[in-house]
Amino acid sequence: MIRFDKVTKTYPGQKRPALQGLDLEIEKGEFVFLVGASGSGKSTFLRLVLRETRPSTGRVYVAGKEINKLSSWKVPKLRRQVGTVFQDFRLLPNKTVTENVAFALQVIGKSRHEIDKLVPETLEMVDLQGKGHRMPDELSGGEQQRVAIARAFVNRPMILIADEPTGNLDPATSVGIMKLLDRINRTDTTVVMATHDSTIVDQMRKRVIELDDGHIVRDEARGIYGYQS
Amino acid sequence: MRTMLSELGTSLSRNKSMTISLVVTMTVSLLLVALGLLIQSQADRTEQYFGDRLQLQVNLCTKNSPSSTCIGGEATDAQKAAVKKALDTNPEVKSFDVRTPADNYEQARELLGQTETGRKQLETLGPSAFPESYFVTLKDPQKFDGVVSQVSGMDGVGNVNSLRKLLGPLFEILEKMQYAAIGTALLLIVAAILQVSNTIRMTAYARRREIGIMRLVGASSWHIQLPFVLESMLAALISAALSALGLGLFMYFVVYGYLRDNLGQITTWVRWQESVVVMGITTVLALLLALVPTFIMTRKYLDV
Repeated sequence: MIRFDKVTKTYPGQKRPALQGLDLEIEKGEFVFLVGASGSGKSTFLRLVLRETRPSTGRVYVAGKEINKLSSWKVPKLRRQVGTVFQDFRLLPNKTVTENVAFALQVIGKSRHEIDKLVPETLEMVDLQGKGHRMPDELSGGEQQRVAIARAFVNRPMILIADEPTGNLDPATSVGIMKLLDRINRTDTTVVMATHDSTIVDQMRKRVIELDDGHIVRDEARGIYGYQS
Repeated sequence: MRTMLSELGTSLSRNKSMTISLVVTMTVSLLLVALGLLIQSQADRTEQYFGDRLQLQVNLCTKNSPSSTCIGGEATDAQKAAVKKALDTNPEVKSFDVRTPADNYEQARELLGQTETGRKQLETLGPSAFPESYFVTLKDPQKFDGVVSQVSGMDGVGNVNSLRKLLGPLFEILEKMQYAAIGTALLLIVAAILQVSNTIRMTAYARRREIGIMRLVGASSWHIQLPFVLESMLAALISAALSALGLGLFMYFVVYGYLRDNLGQITTWVRWQESVVVMGITTVLALLLALVPTFIMTRKYLDV
C-alpha cells in the first residue's frame, strides 16, 4: 500500500536531509505507529505519502502509484485514497458537523444522493448520530476529533493518516479515538499514525516504526513506544 | 455547482469592500479605454469623411464669390478648362476629382443636417450657392505650395483650401485626447490588475482553512479555483456593464445632446453603432483583465 524505496528528502536551503535512505513497506490493512522525537522525519514521511512534497532521491509508492511520476492533475485522485486527521482537528467553524463531513464529498463532486447516504452512515460509525446539526464549538475535543475522522473516512479511503490525533485530548478520550481508529483499520483500511503517546502505543501493540534523525532505527511488528529491554 | 455558488456567495459577502473597490477601479479604467476607442473611431470617421488622401480643395467661383479672381461671377467653362489643364500638367499633382455643386450641396446637407441651425441654413441655400470644386491629391502631401500659388491666382478660382491645414488642429486635439485617455486608462489597468491579484491573495488567506481541507480531501485544482474565477468574472461583468452605461450616458448627453447639435458643422460625429462596438471591446478587455491575473494568482496560491 505504501512503499519507500531508498528515499532521501532534503528541503531546499537545508544541509541535513529530513529523511535519509528510507526503505520500508506497509501492507494493505496494516496499523502502523510512527514514533520518534520532533524533527526525526515523521512529518516529512506523512507529507511524502500525501504527495505534498516529493523525494529528493528514491521512490515513494502510494496505493500503487509512484508519486514522483504523478502529474499534478492526478494528485487530487491520489489524495481521495488517503484520508488525513490532524492534532488540531481543522474543522470549518462556520459549518455544522454534517456540513463539515459533507464538505469533503461535495468538493470532489459526489452526488447529493451519495452524500445523503454516506454522511449519516459515517457519523453513526464515529458515534456522533444525533449531533449532525451541532456547530464544532458546541462539541468536546474528542467529539471534534471524531468529526475530523468522519470527514477523513467518509470517502472510504484506502489509507488513513493520523498526525498526533490524540495530542490535544485527555487519556480517556484518547482511548475512545484509538478504538475508533482500530475499528476503521478492521475495515481493511491501512492506518499510519504519528504519535508521541507512549501509553497508547504500548496498549495497542501494533507495528511500530521509529525514526531518528531521518533514519529508521526500529521497525517492530508488535512493538511498544520505547525500546524493549 | 450548488456548493460552488454558495462558496461564491460567502466569498463575495466576505470581500464586499474589496470587490466594490475592484469594480470601481475597473469601471473607471474601462470607461477611459472606451472613450479612447471612441475618440479613435471619431478620428477615423472624420478622416474618412473628408477623404484621407485629399490635400487640397480648389473651389471655383460662384456668382456670389467675393474673391478678386471672381469678378466675372460664376466660373466660365473656359476658366474651368484652364484650371483643369493647369492641374493636369502640374508635376506635383497626382490626381484630382471633380465635385459638382450638387455633390457639395449633398455633402453640406449631411454635415449641416446634424444641427437645427444647420438645417435652417440649408433651407435658405440651394445647390447653386455651392461652387464646383476639384479635390486634388498631391504626389507629396507636404509640397502643396507650388499648386496653391499656381491655381489660386487663376481667374475663376474662388479659393484654395489645404484640408490638412484646416483639419490639422481637430486631428491634433483628437489625438491628444486619445493619448490622455489611453495613458490614464493604462495606469488604471495596472491598478486593476494589482487589485485583482491582491483580492485573490486576501481571499486565499481568508479561506486558507477551506482550501487546505479541499486540497487534502482531493478536490481538483479547478474545483478550488472556480469560486475565485467566478468572483473575478462577476466583478469584470459588473464593471463592463457599468462602463457601458457610462459610455451610453456620454453618447446620449455629450455626443447626441451637445456635439451633434452645437459642433455639427465641424465633422460628422460617432453614432450609437460605433459605441456598441466599443462596449463589446471593453467587455472582452474586462474579462481578460480579471481572468488572466486570476488564473496566474490562483495557480500560484492554490496549486495542489
